[in-house]
Amino acid sequence: MKYVNAILTVPTTDPDDARRRRLLNIILMAALIASIIALIALILENIFDPRVIFSETQLLLGGIIVFTLGILGIYILNRRLRGRWAAWIFLILLTVIFLFTDSPGELVEGRSLFLFTIPIVMASMLLFPAASFVFAILSSVIVIVLSLSISVFPNVPAIIGFFLVALASWLSARSLEQTLLELRNINANLDHVVHERTQALAESLERERIEAGRNQAILNSIADGVIVFDRQWNATLANPAVRGMLEIPIELIIDKNFSELIEHPRLQPKSRGLLYAMMEQDTQPIGFRIEWGGKTLSVSAAQVYNRTENMGTVTVFRDFTREAEVEKLKSTFVAIVSHELRTPLNAILGYAEMFKEAVYGPMNDKQINMAERIMTNTQRLLGLINDLLNQAQMEAGKLTIKMAPFKTADLLDNLHAVMDKSATDKGLQLTSEIDSNLPDILSGDVERLHQITVNLVNNAIKFTNRGSIHVKLFQPYENKWGIEVSDTGAGIPESELPYVFDTFHQVEGTATRVHGGFGLGLSIVKQLVTLMNGEIKVRSIMEEGTTFIVTLPLVVPESLTNSGV
Amino acid sequence: MSILALIIEDDEDLANIFAEALRGVGFTVEHVTDGKVAQERLRNGEPPYLILLDMHIPHISGGDLLTNIIKKEEHLAKTIVIITTADARMGETYVEMADFVLIKPISFVQLRDLTSRLKPREE
Repeated sequence: MKYVNAILTVPTTDPDDARRRRLLNIILMAALIASIIALIALILENIFDPRVIFSETQLLLGGIIVFTLGILGIYILNRRLRGRWAAWIFLILLTVIFLFTDSPGELVEGRSLFLFTIPIVMASMLLFPAASFVFAILSSVIVIVLSLSISVFPNVPAIIGFFLVALASWLSARSLEQTLLELRNINANLDHVVHERTQALAESLERERIEAGRNQAILNSIADGVIVFDRQWNATLANPAVRGMLEIPIELIIDKNFSELIEHPRLQPKSRGLLYAMMEQDTQPIGFRIEWGGKTLSVSAAQVYNRTENMGTVTVFRDFTREAEVEKLKSTFVAIVSHELRTPLNAILGYAEMFKEAVYGPMNDKQINMAERIMTNTQRLLGLINDLLNQAQMEAGKLTIKMAPFKTADLLDNLHAVMDKSATDKGLQLTSEIDSNLPDILSGDVERLHQITVNLVNNAIKFTNRGSIHVKLFQPYENKWGIEVSDTGAGIPESELPYVFDTFHQVEGTATRVHGGFGLGLSIVKQLVTLMNGEIKVRSIMEEGTTFIVTLPLVVPESLTNSGV
Repeated sequence: MSILALIIEDDEDLANIFAEALRGVGFTVEHVTDGKVAQERLRNGEPPYLILLDMHIPHISGGDLLTNIIKKEEHLAKTIVIITTADARMGETYVEMADFVLIKPISFVQLRDLTSRLKPREE
């Protein structure tokens, strides 16, 4: 087949030209085979039947040889010459051969006329679709000339037949060519698309390679330890930082199951449970701590998804040793401050009270007044310490809300007990009311609620010079209750309203000197309210007063709702 | 008849103030500063009528004294226990075991008034 192909192939790049010349080669090959068979038949016939006239055989033999040589010549031309020359020559040759296959009379009468249709049909294939008409004309001319030469009327149906065959050939060849053209266009488009896709693929592969290199570089240079696990929790990737952190060579991490790492002797047993929980529950905890050797490591895990398919987990280790130490120091500090500062202040307060109560003998008015001032200032100092401690506790996330039933009225009674004196000292009136629809008993952290009301009223007293402070407990919606503290003070400029709950912030920045305090009171209120899932709003009109409104989820103690109280 | 109040408090000044308040009402005051000493005293000495117990004391904490001695020793069953602490949360933890919980700062007047009410009526 390879050799056949080699014989049939023509040196050209034009696909149409190649197709036609290839087709011509096939026809030539077929003709060659036919002439060889004819030659063999002729020889065999002469061997067995010597009666045949020798000269006629000789003529036929010569004809076949000439035909064979002609075919070879055309084949060479077809390979050498460009374009359609060989086809023209072949078809004309074929027509001429057919001219001599019969006597003119027989030819004109039509016995061999159908032979002329062969080059007509072939022309449309080998040359161009309309070429069949050229050969129809040529054949017609031959028929007419022959007819005239033997003085008969030309065979009109034959001529019409030639043209009909030419028409049919032309149409079919044309549609074939068009189909081929379309096919070629489709092919060309396809080639183009394939080329583009290949290009894009190559580019994206290159990009990916660069990206992967960059990601690797990033992974190698970050200070956090990273281990990537597949879905079966086998480590597939680990960066150099993790080696330093866990003090294990990377080879001992890669391809190992996470459970092996968890069982490592350097991991404190109490940390194992956390890691097993992370592995088994497939949860994505953030920033829990483990003890590894002498280090505290913070561990975060995130599952990796490709679209919706879970690809595994990325685990990030951060050295938290220093922070953990600082945190421990901080809570120790908080505890010390809490106890050690309050105790001597309590002593100062106690002695001042003893003076005031004249425990060691009578005191004059001035002395009592001084004792009172010592007490007031000590109370203030205690308040500040409480604020600082609360802030520290909140920052450490240690402050929790404990829900318990309490009497709604107690909240206001306790408030009055603590704040009435401060108000009257400044010549202000502290009034309060409870909305009648508010339940008598609520659930909440009464100590923190007390702190909220005290801080709000304290703040109101600080910024009000005359008039009153009014506290209202109410129920704005069915599932909420609220605390409203309004004063008749100077008001807060609109530009300052967004910042009133910021830590260490005081309106106008100068208030500290006038009013004292760290500006922590409102910040603590805000944080406590947030911890209770509530919200706080403030509205203020300059020179008229300010109102703080706290709204909290209304929780009626279960035992009460059950018993229908 | 003297009514005995035991103050368990490591801060001398506070103990002094508490003692003055209690004496002012008419109590006889005894004072210990250390958890271990307090344990001995509670086990062996005359049972006090009232104990003012600080939660933060050296060696044995106030909480342990309360749980392991005061609540266990039969001869202390009638003793009134007032615990004092700076930590409100800790106060809450022991609120069931104590008769009163006072959160520091504790006012002289407040303590005097409270203990005066607790003192047995003289017949």
